[in-house]
This record gives sequence, structure tokens and C-alpha cells, in this order.
Amino acid sequence: MRQLRQATGETKAWSVLDHESNEGGRQRQNVFELAGQVAMSVGTTTDVVPTLEKAKGELEAMARIVESEIGSVARTFEGLAGHTDTILDLAAAIVGRVENEGVSSILPKVQTLGAAARRFIAERLQATTGILEMVTTEVKLLGQLTGVACSQETIALEIKALSVLTNIEVARLGTIGTGFQYLARELADFSKSVAEDTRELASHTDVGRAAIEDARRVLSAELPRLREELARIEVDLGNALAMVDSSLAQLSRTPMQFRTGVEDIARQIAGVVAAIQTHDINRQMNEHVQEAFALISARMRGAEDSEDGVARELPRAYAGLTIQIYQLRSIKETVANWTSQIRACMSGILKVSAGEVVGIGPAVLEQEQKVSSQLARIELLERESQGYSERIQRTLGGLSNLMQLVSELLQRSKSIRDRLRLLAFNAIIETSHLGTQADVILAISKSIKEISAAWSQITDQSGHAMQEILNLVKQTNKVMEAFSQARNESLREAQVQTRAGLDNLRTAAEFAGRQAQEMKAATEKMQVKIAQVGKTGDLLDACFGRVDAVLTEIESVRLQLEIDQPDVKERYDAAEVEQLFSASYTTELERDVLRAALRGGALPVVQQMSAGNSVELF
Amino acid sequence: MKRILTVDDSASVRQMVSFTLRKAGYEVVEAVDGKDGLAKVGSGKLDLIITDLNMPNMDGIEMMAAIRKLPGYSFTPMLMLTTESQVERKDAGRKAGATGWIVKPFDADKLIAVMQKLVK
Repeated sequence: MRQLRQATGETKAWSVLDHESNEGGRQRQNVFELAGQVAMSVGTTTDVVPTLEKAKGELEAMARIVESEIGSVARTFEGLAGHTDTILDLAAAIVGRVENEGVSSILPKVQTLGAAARRFIAERLQATTGILEMVTTEVKLLGQLTGVACSQETIALEIKALSVLTNIEVARLGTIGTGFQYLARELADFSKSVAEDTRELASHTDVGRAAIEDARRVLSAELPRLREELARIEVDLGNALAMVDSSLAQLSRTPMQFRTGVEDIARQIAGVVAAIQTHDINRQMNEHVQEAFALISARMRGAEDSEDGVARELPRAYAGLTIQIYQLRSIKETVANWTSQIRACMSGILKVSAGEVVGIGPAVLEQEQKVSSQLARIELLERESQGYSERIQRTLGGLSNLMQLVSELLQRSKSIRDRLRLLAFNAIIETSHLGTQADVILAISKSIKEISAAWSQITDQSGHAMQEILNLVKQTNKVMEAFSQARNESLREAQVQTRAGLDNLRTAAEFAGRQAQEMKAATEKMQVKIAQVGKTGDLLDACFGRVDAVLTEIESVRLQLEIDQPDVKERYDAAEVEQLFSASYTTELERDVLRAALRGGALPVVQQMSAGNSVELF
Repeated sequence: MKRILTVDDSASVRQMVSFTLRKAGYEVVEAVDGKDGLAKVGSGKLDLIITDLNMPNMDGIEMMAAIRKLPGYSFTPMLMLTTESQVERKDAGRKAGATGWIVKPFDADKLIAVMQKLVK
């Protein structure tokens, strides 16, 4: 037996189980070949018992180390859970702030602001369409007014000439012409008054025309750019609002994300708690295998007392070894499950804590910055638009003043027209009394009548032009109302409300920023703990690797028994063996494994215990 | 704060029970076997006991039966936390005075839910 172990190598892992894979079958064949070469025989307890005692010692040593390491894992886990609690408390405080500051109410405010800003832009886009055309017409009408001023100037000169002519004729007529002296004076006054009004009209019309011309020039250059800008801003605003929507929606999901994180962590913690408990099941299974080795050894020793005792005991020992091989393989599989579960769950705790939960703070900060930057952009747009509006309104204001002046001049002009008519009428009556002597005065009177008619026409023209300009100014003013402060009120109101909401959000974000440092420190401590678990996990893996060495030993003994006594497999009573070895079993898994071993079937599938069992109340 | 006694010869199981219960706000007293558990019962009033079944020196059933005889413990809830799931064992536990049975590993949330129901 010792020679066989030496020939095959103690640490070489191979399988002899009938149901094993081709690889196992090939190894089994190798063992048989090697066994044939050494041509040895057992049949006594000399070789079996020391091997079992050594295996028992190995398992005991392994159990001690594992127990100590598991204790270390459990302590590390408690520390990790403590740090997780710290992070969750900090995150809960942030989420609490986010909820208290009414982040969810900011979204409708921003949506209102978006709608107001869009309306604001649409109104300005519409307004800019007609303004340029109106201003161009206004320039044209002011040109007409300038023309009227020129005609008035001509009339003023004609009146002055008539006044001079009248004075000459009054002098020629002598005493009979004295009555016409008032005519000459009136004409001189009219001429003076008309000349002054004309100069005033011409001067103001020129100033007004220059201003409106300047405004027209600026507007024709600026309006297309403004329109383009407004259209671009409208698109940008749409995108910005979509981003804000998404940012705030993401922010409003934070509490849910936190709760999901808490649930995830609770699941992972439950997984570690369950996995550490599963170690206890393996510990018991290991102890039962050791007890079985002791039982087989004791029975083998006891059997040596009678002549054929060992031969009779060997089939039971064979069956017992087969059961222990199954149990050890089951232990290996279960251990692999729970150690990987501990690692996965602890990494999961770190991932959720350090990633998703810690990420809540920066997410709040980032979203606040995004929303604030979009609000600033809307405010800038409003200021720009207001700038254009004020410029147009200033120009229109100047035009209104000019029209006020034109209106006054028109009144005076009408009065001159009426007085000219009256003067012409009186002069004609007077000249009729004088007969042919006053022919010249009559001719002057008729000229005054004609001038009065021409004056009337010019006054009407001025009146029409002024009316048209006034209408246009009124229309432009109406259009410009779109740019007025009052129309911005809904936008302003929405801005104020959004800004107030953002102030609250900023408070939450600043709080999150302060918490972030503490979270980072807790996360670093968690990483240290996870690294510790990684090292302990490696130690556990190495420790459980010793199960392979024990398995090799036991499989080798069992194989030798098969070689020595080929019928050893058939010569035991399964019920008796089950009773013998299952007495100490405490788990259903061990019982299932025992039955599988006696039937020569596959190992029962070990369920991954991600969560534990519930309580059965009596 | 409610006091709970956890009795188990496995240090890691005791650690996990204590961790779960302390996290839920309970005060936990630990004992390593039935004999130790019985001694701890005498050290102060306990509101609930969770014990393993198979332990050296004194097993869980024996300990439960002994505790039930103590004055003031006739109605104290006692839960068996064991790898055993056989009906005969459960019957023996019930006869010894167990209030409920949990097959290891336990589910932390479900354990706490039951604790809240049993310890008021």
C-alpha cells in the first residue's frame, strides 16, 4: 500500500469513482496498472488504519485553521457592515435633504419656465417679422413730410411777395388804399409764421427721419441676426430643457436608487450571513467524516482478533470509505460555493456602497449645476432680447414726439389756412367797392385765395402723412408690446420660482458635497476590509486544497481494497452500512450524499444558499 | 432593550446571530453550549432564546427542557437553530418547549420578523 502511494504520488489527484468522467476513468486505469506493477496486497489493517488516522489528523488540522479563518472573515464582515452602515446613513441624509428640499417640485417649475421662455421667443420671432416693413414705410412717410415742408416754404415766399406787392399797391392808391394796409400786415405775419413753422417742421422731420433711417438701417442688419439667434436659442432651449428634464428626473430617482441600493446591500449581507453559517454545516460534515474514519479504524482493529474478521470487515470498510469519499467531495463543492458567495457578496456590498450609494452625492451636485447653467442661459437670452426691444422702443418714442410736433404744426397750419381764406374773402369784398382802381388788390386777393387752396391741400397731405405715421407708430408699438416688460412677467415669475427651487437644490448639493469626504473615507476603509477578506479567502482556498490530498489517500486505499478483493463491492449490507455511518449525521445533505454513495449515483446538487431559511413556528 | 440569548458551539454562527440581532437593536448574550446557556439564563432576565441542537456538554433540547422548568421562563420564546430538519427531532424540540425551528442557515430578515412578533 505504501509502495502504491509512493508510485502514484501522494498529492496527485485522481478519481476512482465509477460514475466519473473519461479523465477519471483513464486515471483509474493508470492506478490499476501501477497497482499491478507493484503487485502488492493488503488484507490486514496495517496499511488502512494508519492512512485513515493520518487523513483524520489532516481534516482536524484543516478544521482548526478554517475555524480560525472563518472567525476572521466574520469579524472583517462585521467591520465592513459597520462602514456600510456609515455610508448608508450619510446617503440617507443626502436623500432626506433632496426630498425635504422639494427637488421633485423643481421639475414642474422648470417646465413652466421652459414654456414661458418658448412663448417669449415665439412672440419675439413673430414681432420681428413686421417691424422692418413698418419702419421702412415710416421713413417713406417722413420723406413725404419733408416734401410738404418744401412746398410750405415756397408758399411762405409767395405770401411774403404778396405782402410786399400789397404794400406797394396801398402806397399807389393813397388814401383809398389805406383799408388794405391790414392785408399787407396780415400777409407779412403769415409769411413769417409759415416760414418759422416750415423751418421747425423741416428741422424736426430731418432729425426724425435720420433717427428712423438709422433705426431702419440697424434693424435691417440686426433683425435677421436676431431672428436667427432666436430660432437657434429656441432649438437650444428645447435641448436644454430636455436635458434639465432628464437631470431632474434622474435626481428625483435618487431616493429610489438609494432604496434599491439599501435593498441590494441587505441582500448581499444576508448572503454573507448565510454563507458563514454554511461553514458550520461543512464543519459538522468534516467532523462526521473524521468520526467515520475513527469508526472504520476501530472496527478494523477489532476485527483482527478473529481469524476471518478482517475479511468480513473489509466490505463494510470499503463501503464506509466510499461514503467518506462522497462526503469529502460534497464538502469540497459546498465550500467552493460559500467561499465564492462570501467574496461575491462582500464585493457586491463594496460595489453598491462605493459606487451607487456614494455616487448619489456627486449626482445631486452635477444635476444642480446643469439646471443652474440652463437657467443662466435663459436669463441671458431674456436680457439680449430686452436690449433689442429697448432700442426699437427708443426710436419709436422719438417718432411719437415728432408726430406730436407735426400735429401742433398742423393745427397752426389749419388756422393759417382759415385766416387766409377769411383775408382773401374780405379783400375781394373791399375791392368790389373800389371798382377798377383796385384791380391789383383784387388780383392779390385771388392769389391769396389760390394760396389758401394750395395751403389747404398741403395741410391735408401733412395730415394724411401724419395720420399714417401715427397709425404705423401705433401698430409698431402694439407689435413691440411683445418685447415689453409686462409681457416678460410670466417668464420672470417662472425664473424666480425656478431659482428658489434651485437654491434649495444647491443646499442639498452642498450638503452632499460635504458628506462626500466622509463617504470616501468609509469607502477606503471598506476596501481595506475587502482586501483582508481576499487574503483570508486565499488562505481558505489553500486550506481546503488539503481535502484533495485526503481524497487521494482514501481513494488509493479504497482502490487497493478493490484490487485485493474484487468482490469487496458486493459483500456488504447497504442498510447496515447506512445505519452504521448515518447515526451522527445532522443534515439532510449528508444523508442524501450517503444514499448516493451506496447507490453509486452522482453527488446531490448543492444549492447555492444566497439567502437563508425561514422560521417554522410551532 | 430586549435581551436575547444565543447558544451555539460554533463561534461563527454565534457571531452571525449576534450581528443580525444587534443590527436590529437587540442586546445579545452568547453561550457556547447548553450548560453555558443554562448558566447565562440565571444571570438576568432574557426575552428570547435561540439555541443550536447538537452541542457538547449539553444539547439544545436538554437545555430547553431545563429552562422551561425555571421560574419566569414558562412562556419565554425559544427557537431552535440547527442543521437538523428531521420531523422526529422537531417533535422532540417541541416537547422540550421550543417555540419554533429554523434550519441553518437562517434568513436574517425572516428571523428579525419573527423576533418582532415573539418579543413585544
